[in-house]
Amino acid sequence: MTSKRRRFVALVAVVAALALVVTGCASKTDTGGTDGGATEATVVKIGIGAPLTQGAVALGKGMERGANLAVSQANEDAAVKDLGITFETVSGDDQGDPKTGVTVANQFVSDSKLVGVMGHLNSGVSIPASKVYNQSSVVMVSPASTNPSLTQNGLDNVFRVCTIDSVQGPSGADSAFKDLGFTSAFVVDDSTPYGTGLADEFAKQFAADGGKVVGREKTGDKDSDFNALVTKIKSLNPAVVYYGGIYNSGALLSKQLSDAGVTAPLMGGDGLYDGEYVKLAGDAAAEGDFCTSVGYPIDQLPKGADFKAAFEAAYPGEAIAAYDAYSYDAANVIIEAVKKVAADLGAAKVTTLEGKKAIIAAVAATNMEGVTGAVAFDANGDTTNKVITLYTVKAGAWTAYVK
Amino acid sequence: MGGSKMDIRTKVSSRKATTKQKIIYALIAVFIVLVPVIFQGIGQLFLVRIMGVVGLYVMLALGLNIVVGFAGLLDLGYIAFYAMGAYVGVIVGDVMLKTFGASFGPWVYFASLPIAALAAAATGIALGTPVLRLRGDYLAIVTLGFGEIVRILITNDVFGLTNGPAGLPRSGQSIPEPFGLLWLREHAVFSIGDNFNFQFSNNLYWYFIAVLLCLLTIFVVRRLDDSRLGRSWTAMREDEVAAASVGINITTAKLWAFSLGAVWGGVAGLTFANFQQFVSPESFTFMESVFVVCIVVLGGMGSIPGAIIGAIAIQGIPELIRGLAQSGILPLDPGQASLVSNYRYLVFGLVMVIMMAVRPQGIWPSARRAMELHPDDEKIQNEESQSLWEAEHKTDTADHDL
Amino acid sequence: MSGDVIVQQLVNGITLGGLYALIALGYTLVYGIMLMINFAHSEMFMAGGYVGLFVLKALTNEAWVGAGAVGFFTGSTIGLIVLFVIVFLAAAILVGILGVVIERFAYRPLRHAPRLAPLISAIGVSIFLQNAVLLWVDSKALPFPAVMPVVTVVKVGGVTVNSLQILILVTTLLLLAFLDTFVSKTRIGKAMRATSQDREAAGLMGIDINQVIGLAFFIGPALGGIAGVFHGMYYGSVKFDMGFLPGMKSFTAAVIGGIGNLRGAMLGGFVLGILESLAAGFLSAGYKDVVAFAILILVLIFRPGGLLGESVVEKV
Repeated sequence: MTSKRRRFVALVAVVAALALVVTGCASKTDTGGTDGGATEATVVKIGIGAPLTQGAVALGKGMERGANLAVSQANEDAAVKDLGITFETVSGDDQGDPKTGVTVANQFVSDSKLVGVMGHLNSGVSIPASKVYNQSSVVMVSPASTNPSLTQNGLDNVFRVCTIDSVQGPSGADSAFKDLGFTSAFVVDDSTPYGTGLADEFAKQFAADGGKVVGREKTGDKDSDFNALVTKIKSLNPAVVYYGGIYNSGALLSKQLSDAGVTAPLMGGDGLYDGEYVKLAGDAAAEGDFCTSVGYPIDQLPKGADFKAAFEAAYPGEAIAAYDAYSYDAANVIIEAVKKVAADLGAAKVTTLEGKKAIIAAVAATNMEGVTGAVAFDANGDTTNKVITLYTVKAGAWTAYVK
Repeated sequence: MGGSKMDIRTKVSSRKATTKQKIIYALIAVFIVLVPVIFQGIGQLFLVRIMGVVGLYVMLALGLNIVVGFAGLLDLGYIAFYAMGAYVGVIVGDVMLKTFGASFGPWVYFASLPIAALAAAATGIALGTPVLRLRGDYLAIVTLGFGEIVRILITNDVFGLTNGPAGLPRSGQSIPEPFGLLWLREHAVFSIGDNFNFQFSNNLYWYFIAVLLCLLTIFVVRRLDDSRLGRSWTAMREDEVAAASVGINITTAKLWAFSLGAVWGGVAGLTFANFQQFVSPESFTFMESVFVVCIVVLGGMGSIPGAIIGAIAIQGIPELIRGLAQSGILPLDPGQASLVSNYRYLVFGLVMVIMMAVRPQGIWPSARRAMELHPDDEKIQNEESQSLWEAEHKTDTADHDL
Repeated sequence: MSGDVIVQQLVNGITLGGLYALIALGYTLVYGIMLMINFAHSEMFMAGGYVGLFVLKALTNEAWVGAGAVGFFTGSTIGLIVLFVIVFLAAAILVGILGVVIERFAYRPLRHAPRLAPLISAIGVSIFLQNAVLLWVDSKALPFPAVMPVVTVVKVGGVTVNSLQILILVTTLLLLAFLDTFVSKTRIGKAMRATSQDREAAGLMGIDINQVIGLAFFIGPALGGIAGVFHGMYYGSVKFDMGFLPGMKSFTAAVIGGIGNLRGAMLGGFVLGILESLAAGFLSAGYKDVVAFAILILVLIFRPGGLLGESVVEKV
């Protein structure tokens, strides 16, 4: 019994010591923050909530890149320096897991200097996390969560720069039926909220337009074998295969369709709009595939070309991934709001509750030119940017579709 | 080891606490209540959150402990019960809200808790019945498959109940706040000095609920361990054939293990759904089941303090490290902080391997188990892996014709 | 449904089943000898994909091996065959060595530990390897260069079979035949069988247990590595988490066939692959995994030892 008791005592001691260290350190940093001199700029932090070690890591890393680029540009900006603020980012790895995501959200709101969050990727993470941010008046701008219910919970701090499925899906359907002349479609999704929503909306509008949906199937977002599905598609001979999902699996589906001799092109949403898609599917298989994405093509907007140049300078050798540009815009939305509040209330007040509430109001009133087009929000916090561009793979790269 | 075998009974039954133990328990109780209050007060909300999540996993681990630790049945699909509890609870809660009106809101969680528990128990029996004859590792894979089936059915919006990948509650609906949370948030507010501003929070509420449920679980699990049923589990775990021959009904004992284990999974699931205020299929992956098994084994099978330490080690520490590294509490620059965050799972995997090499019986093994079974005794181990069915059908056990 | 579609689904299923079978052999071999579920085996499969990719890239990189060699490898049929033999050998040997190293450091200290300890250790290894690839290689899926042209070999009506599908099937069958002969005919194979029946007694008879276990941990991962290269070639990409689903399915396949039984693993792989393809083709792709696991549960209820496992003998 003595050994057991000794272990109990040791455990209690260890945990208590840990708690003391944590509390001690925490209060130390708190006091450290308040006596910042007049010459020192106020640090304003922006959280990046994305899957970085598990889940859709490639997309999460892209989000991190986009937001970091926006922040490093802002810190170079003379206007920001004049206001006396410096931006910092904090990357919170949510692993695409709702439980971890809410812990990350709590970590973000524990940091009094953190005023806004660029994230999260998965709707299943964004929705519960948004409630945590709301309680601490931290603004959240998601670059990628498309589940409609995210912005319909009556939370005033929740925004997104990506379009919801009910905009992009029907637009894709209209393009497919009216512009491209496809009369029949086989619709597949990847069982994620994004893919399912997009595919459902596409199928609905495609049928309404007068097209024939010859099949509706679900697959998994980690699946790599689609051969059975491909055989089924081949036997039904649709004019187009619509895939609601991300480029990883979408590319594999496209490759397997092409290997099996299916000539119908694959079509999808902005989840496919990634240079990796073509690399993974192979030039031959990807050629002629379609996808829709929000906003005008990057090259056609002055901001877009700048972004591309800055991105290539900052991350040599990296290709712009599906959500990099959205994340860049989302971070800039927060940065612009902080700048406005810093100008109105003074830099010191940005990280107070008053400042955070003002930032939410400033984000709601956003009206800026972003990489993906004009960024502004409606009453729910959804983007008003309803411009959808149709892209096709031409000579091994996504290019805007011209009739 | 041999000498101490004699006092198994005295040790197990002498549970009257000595004065010293009473002091220790009192200290732990103070610690459990005060520490999160302090964290909340100094604004480190994520530490409270992590403690809440650890509480949920303690509950899960204690539940799985009944199945794995007591009854010796390896279950790799335990998260299915967690999912059942969460979904059934939320769906039933929604029905209650519609039937009794919005004023019933505060009671929805408490009213749907027993239903979620029952639903999980029923699922446990439904799973347990067909797989009764299976031996350890076959059972493991069947439970794994069962867990995946449940997750896929939820993802495919089975019967239109689960809203598929989009999760519950549906757009525009919400899980009502439980009794007392609103009042506490408004009234339990105080400050000490400039840096200590306490306000009661969602995290604290669910942390305390989790602690209360854990205490209830510990109470029940300890009673079970000492009960006739608990002893028949032990007997069954050590030797199914011998247990059956002394009149233990193996079928009943196994089904009780499955259903009682499932109950705590279900309770934890509904609590999780309320803690999150949202539930979606992403939370119920196979890796979650694996993590709960890891908690039980790493902590020490059949051991209650083991389950607690295991939950802290597996669910708490990786999150804690990330949180501490990134919130500026540890003196790290952002580059180092993200390095720590990115490498934590790599190190975590390595630590699991090293832990098992150093202490294969777990961090805090159950005293009774450690005495009953000498880990080096291979013969006992082999017999442990033999099921009644096998023994009935074969004379030799370890026959694998390669 | 026309007959063509059914036959084509069978072709799909057999190819997929071949991959499952290769991975399942590794699970079953290790289980037979160690009585442990090697959870890290799916990571062996993943490692095989990456090793294959890097060797292939190195051998087709002019700066590394010279233009002449690249021309030989990619220009002629013999060159292609040599190239792929090298790639497969490299993947098999390197992943095999990885398996042996893991056994030495993660599992050997646990020989006499409680039964679940090696399981946890294996999960730890799996988490470690996935994160190692994620951190040190790439978080993105890497395209697998389509060096080998995929040509349609058989075309009867609407049914097509391509060269890669035939290659996978033939390789799988050859490897099983080889392994089966090895285990049943050679001295060391006999030692393996003896060890799987009673490790202690085998040791007393003068069998070097460590050598036998080491061999099992070389062959199993080597087969997994080959399956990983096939996966890369067949689907065109490798990713750090690619092992998880095939690993889980192959383990299921090993259990359906009767875990610990080599031919059982093979049969289980094909059964699972075919049923999955038929389910995806004729029921719903969303429910194909439900069908796979439901089949598993049914098989185990009616034949608790698996299809070819320790079959029911007379009651004693």
